[in-house]
Amino acid sequence: MIYPITTLVTLVFFTLICSSPAIADTLNSPAFQIQMSTVNLTGGNKSSASYKLSDTVGQTFQGQFNSAGYVIQAGFQYINTLIPFSFRISNLSINFGSLVPGTPSTLSNILTITTGSAFGYTVKAIEDHPLSRSDGLANIPDTACDLGTTCLQTSANIWADNARYGFGYNMSGADITGDFVNSTYYRPFPAQNVDQPAIIMSKNGIATSSAATVTYKINIAGGQAAGTYQNAIQYIAIPAF
Amino acid sequence: MKYKQILIPILYIVLFGFFTATKVHAESYNLSVSPPLLRVHILPGKAITQVYTIGNSDIADQTLVASIVPFSQADDNGNPVLNPQTTAPWLGYFSLANSEIKLNEPFTIRAGATEQLVLSLTVPPDASLGEIYATLMISTYTNSIDQNLEGTALKATIGSNLLITISSEAYPDTVLKIIDFNPTEGSFLKIGNIYFADSITAMKFSALVSNEGKFTADTKGVFRVTKGTDNPVFLDGILPLNVISKSQRILVNTNGAPFEFTPTLSQIGNHQISLEIKTENSNATSTIEVFFFPLKLSLGLLLTIIIISLIVKTSGKSTIVPLDNNK
Repeated sequence: MIYPITTLVTLVFFTLICSSPAIADTLNSPAFQIQMSTVNLTGGNKSSASYKLSDTVGQTFQGQFNSAGYVIQAGFQYINTLIPFSFRISNLSINFGSLVPGTPSTLSNILTITTGSAFGYTVKAIEDHPLSRSDGLANIPDTACDLGTTCLQTSANIWADNARYGFGYNMSGADITGDFVNSTYYRPFPAQNVDQPAIIMSKNGIATSSAATVTYKINIAGGQAAGTYQNAIQYIAIPAF
Repeated sequence: MKYKQILIPILYIVLFGFFTATKVHAESYNLSVSPPLLRVHILPGKAITQVYTIGNSDIADQTLVASIVPFSQADDNGNPVLNPQTTAPWLGYFSLANSEIKLNEPFTIRAGATEQLVLSLTVPPDASLGEIYATLMISTYTNSIDQNLEGTALKATIGSNLLITISSEAYPDTVLKIIDFNPTEGSFLKIGNIYFADSITAMKFSALVSNEGKFTADTKGVFRVTKGTDNPVFLDGILPLNVISKSQRILVNTNGAPFEFTPTLSQIGNHQISLEIKTENSNATSTIEVFFFPLKLSLGLLLTIIIISLIVKTSGKSTIVPLDNNK
């Protein structure tokens, strides 16, 4: 009883795996996609049932360089020039008003990026200095997050303890860095002339209105000197190449 | 009567306030720049101009300042590492040909309007041959922070990259090397130099290229899977990235994703999976050997045979008890 069944299964299996595929033309695959580019005068997409070809055709690079002494490429096959690189910030003024010691205050705004470039983009952030009083005699330090979960300028961590003071930010939404696990994860801003700007959003590829929310959090100690504290944060949005 | 004397002035005040109140909105920012990338190949002694379109889609006018910031490094994804403090002798090659807008001086774009910046690059005849990497940065311009603000004032900068090659040749030497090409996802194991992989599971590959030359090179080429003598069973294009001198880039396919190959059930045996980059002056190829076999299917079959064997064995051993009609 067992032998006919196992023999049959084995025969079917080996017939299946050992049979060579009948391919009339080895290039016939719906997966093929060959793309190339040059300085374009004409071009477009060509396709058949078995392949897709996208190309541009024009004067040769060599010929153009020899005749003019320069070649300019401002349009690229993988950059949709109809979609400019754009950057939107919903609010440029983060005004906390009066603060209550030991009670964190949070405010947020939204950063939005659109790019038609297949190369992607990054948004970086840097502050001019920690929140400081105009006389320079007092400041609110940048957060180090909770005692057991210290955060860095490029590595967010948990800041939920109201007895931990400072100023920091959380990110949520599209294209944010992976260290912002949830809304309790914060980072301090890097400071100009001391640190490198920190990447807060990035993507390798086209972005259509990629929006991320920045939540700014401030918590002061009871002994914080009275006064108006200010700083400036710069967001830098740069496309990749 | 007394109420009337009080109510009428209050009504006047409310109406006056209602009609004369100005619209208050949070200050925001919405700027665009085009093109996002300019690549120029130029002889010493030549000059070019390039028009940049800056759009202000915000509901308020925007005061901005344009500047050229050099960079010499980029990360593995082609994001420049900017240092605004850096100076370079070639910064003087750049200027704006606009009559009213100059580099490093503020200018205003009205709400909903666009402005064209005409960037001029003039390379002196005695300029040294080599590469210029810079970003045209358009930043919000502020003299000081509002004294009533108790918190943070935000500034914004948007950029567009410039990759300039100053050379007397159309195709200066480029040295691209594929320094990493390995499978990262899938069911596989490596024995010696050969990967043994399941023939019905997708394999993903990571690839890293290094430009060890003095000039920018692009990564035109193909990701190819062949079986036997050069018979391609799968092809995918490599996204033509710009790899600046002395930098590394992660290679991706033309969709911006890692290279991926999903074999069919019949694609069994030894395959060559290769990355081939061809520039005008140099080629770079990296190939790995992968032997596809039906690992998961074989395990499934083995399990099936064992189960069937057990069932048959169990049913064969069971004894038939005859019915005792006398009871």
